[in-house]
Amino acid sequence: MSTWLVILGVSACTFLLRASFIVFADPHKFPRRFRQALAFVPPAVLAAIVAPGLLLVEGALDLTGGNPRWIAGVVAIVVGARTRSMLATIATGMVVLWLLQWVMR
Amino acid sequence: MPFGFVTGVAAISAGMSAFEGIALSVLSFSGIAQLIVSQLMAAGSPILLTIAAAFVVSLRFLMYSAAVAPHVAHLSLRWRLLLSYLMTDQIFASSVRRYEAAGDKRYLHFHFLGAGVTLFTTWQVAVALGVLAGAAVPASWSLDFAVVLSFIALLVPAVRARADLAAAIVAAAVALFAAGLPYRLSLVAASLAGIAAGMALELMKERRR
Repeated sequence: MSTWLVILGVSACTFLLRASFIVFADPHKFPRRFRQALAFVPPAVLAAIVAPGLLLVEGALDLTGGNPRWIAGVVAIVVGARTRSMLATIATGMVVLWLLQWVMR
Repeated sequence: MPFGFVTGVAAISAGMSAFEGIALSVLSFSGIAQLIVSQLMAAGSPILLTIAAAFVVSLRFLMYSAAVAPHVAHLSLRWRLLLSYLMTDQIFASSVRRYEAAGDKRYLHFHFLGAGVTLFTTWQVAVALGVLAGAAVPASWSLDFAVVLSFIALLVPAVRARADLAAAIVAAAVALFAAGLPYRLSLVAASLAGIAAGMALELMKERRR
């Protein structure tokens, strides 16, 4: 039940935001400052997800060699910047993670 | 394709049924929103906070909608509703490039529709494969890390200017320091702090001119 409330609520948000100016509002009334701020949504949101995913181990900051995730993540960032390929970034990151986990075992 | 697959796996690992995972994908049709929902559901976040977080990460659609609106204003309501539903990061980039190029633009909405339907179909197939695989993949493969990696692949091209980098660094720092907050409130707090930092740099740059 609560899962369906989330699904419907989230879907209403994505659709209404997409339709906002195309269907409902006049884009000329869109304040410039607000538009500028929206441009920072992707880098801010994505970094807020990536950083804990790489650096937190069971809630604590772990920047040691015992945490393979940040090492694999740094390699993935380099591969992503070089290739701009989603497949190459995910594949390289996963292989590095598996290798490090295997070495540390 | 790999992003859709990872998204499908994440929905299953968050505890959604296959039908719920696919319904979320078809109705919301946004990879980032789908992944956020999976992450917050897995963390046991309340319904309203999960929806609010998906709203924050989807704010970029406002910007896309405003940019595309003048080009499709002449179309019927039915067309505009359909094109709104199909709008994604990739479709936005390709359609705006075409609308800004020279040439006959009367029929460009058919191109928009064609590209949108193609992407929609591939996306849903990839998510469905992920949903089916999700139950079969053992936890020792650490496939949850693939979610982080797909966000890295999206983050790298999103950082184009110094202000973008500031937004990313501040958001990352706040996300780490606020990690102790319940229900992953840190995500919304860090996003807003990052946006504020980017905006502050932008304003400083303007004042210097």
